[in-house]
Amino acid sequence: MTLAPPLNPPSALRRIINVMRLHLVNKSVYIGIPWMIVAGALAVSVIITLLLRYVSGETEFPGMAYSWAVVSPLWYLIAAGVLAISTTLPFALGFSITRTDFYLGTSLLFVTVSAANALAMATLVEIEQATGGWWIGTIMFSALWFGGQTWIVNVLGFLVIQLFIFFVGALFAAVYLRWRVMGSVLLWFGVAAAIIGAVTIIVLTDSWVSVVGWLTTQTTAALLGWLAVPVALAALAGYFIVRRATPKN
Amino acid sequence: MTAIIEARNLTKTFGSTTAVDSVSFTIEENRIYGLLGRNGAGKTTIMQLLTGQDFATSGDVAVYGQSPVENAHVLQNISFIKESQKYPDAFQVRHVLASAPWFFTNWDQSFADTLLGEFRVPLKRDIKKLSRGQLSALGVIVGLASRAPITFFDEPYLGLDAVSRQLFYDRLLEDFAAHPRTVILSTHLIDEVSNLLEHVIVIDEGHIIIDSSADDLRGSAVTIVGKSVDVAAFVEGREVIHRDGIGGLSTVTITGQLSAADRQAATAAGLELAPVSLQQLIVRLSVLEDAATEGVLS
Repeated sequence: MTLAPPLNPPSALRRIINVMRLHLVNKSVYIGIPWMIVAGALAVSVIITLLLRYVSGETEFPGMAYSWAVVSPLWYLIAAGVLAISTTLPFALGFSITRTDFYLGTSLLFVTVSAANALAMATLVEIEQATGGWWIGTIMFSALWFGGQTWIVNVLGFLVIQLFIFFVGALFAAVYLRWRVMGSVLLWFGVAAAIIGAVTIIVLTDSWVSVVGWLTTQTTAALLGWLAVPVALAALAGYFIVRRATPKN
Repeated sequence: MTAIIEARNLTKTFGSTTAVDSVSFTIEENRIYGLLGRNGAGKTTIMQLLTGQDFATSGDVAVYGQSPVENAHVLQNISFIKESQKYPDAFQVRHVLASAPWFFTNWDQSFADTLLGEFRVPLKRDIKKLSRGQLSALGVIVGLASRAPITFFDEPYLGLDAVSRQLFYDRLLEDFAAHPRTVILSTHLIDEVSNLLEHVIVIDEGHIIIDSSADDLRGSAVTIVGKSVDVAAFVEGREVIHRDGIGGLSTVTITGQLSAADRQAATAAGLELAPVSLQQLIVRLSVLEDAATEGVLS
């Protein structure tokens, strides 16, 4: 005779939330460090503004709109996305978490963190513009295209960019855990082949003009919207790859 | 006794290597099992198959009658501590202990705190900076305090000093008595745990070579020491698993129980009878198995 399992698991939703809590148990990884980077970038931007004011005597610095400081935390988040799978999944399996629960919980984390950051960053764009660049003409959050968009477009823009970084990073880590080095190499070759293939088709069909023409007709919001397509594909692919991944040591 | 884990013709191959070769066995509830064998024998692979961490090439695993693979109902009852457990880069010891209760229903925080002090694991140290022994101790603490109905320890003592190993055996036995559960322990240090084990499964090159209760196994062989001539006469017709000799003296290990008459005869012949330790017995049988598979002995 066989016995029924004595302990019942919490509900699926509870289990998924617990996975997100596991990622957030050390708050510095997804909250502390990214915001320290933002604070550091703002400090540097302010110092540069003050130097410019002192040196040039001017009070407006449109050139700062080309600063990439606004995206500085994103580089760090790429690593966070990779590590969320590559080291936390093997650990989670040791805590008897199923791969399915782990992936769904990790996805919930990505969406939650991205959404919170997006709301904050888009709001900082508004504050920066309302205060005339923190009262000294600094352009950091409203740099690149972020200055010319509405708050909601900026929220969605930050959101989709972060999700792209998280899910693509997680996909690469998942491929490594499932198929090791060979799989990773093939994935890189696949990405390279897809890009070269696309360029080749454009060149052979002599359609550069129409491609560029199409791109210029797209608004920034629309281009960001297109980014949601690879995000969805990476998230879906990651799910099926993680479900059969077998971390080794 | 109730079976809670059943493996049938379980096989796992990695490329051309067969790590586990069609093994079948049963694990019964609330006993302590030893999963023993040499390095690379397939112990870890079997544990990974039983816990759904790896996928069988063929054959079946049933835990509580269900496949453990991606099965939260089964996995909620399992704690699997392995020597090579990975931890997230940014984790400190306290992060592991803070999150464990979210995943282990029976987690006992005060027991974990006590163990932390006894094993002297610093709470606020980065996992990356722990010594090998402290890392093993952390695994042991999680494995004990999680009180999962089925607890696997895969060589949990690497780098642990003798005091800490004894502490582990003591706490395991005490807590097992107070909270009975099924424990499956893989280890090299057979003599150290031989008093702990109720049942022994020995794996060699992916095959099960022994699956027996520890008591039966201990009584299944005896060593006879004495003058070579007398020993040879006594063991005539019995199954010899090991011979050793120096000068005119022999030490021969035979399998099978000795009757009272056998014992009297041995004493009369001036022979000494010695028990065989579990470790010696397993080493002898493993060597014999190797020889048999290689066709040296038949």
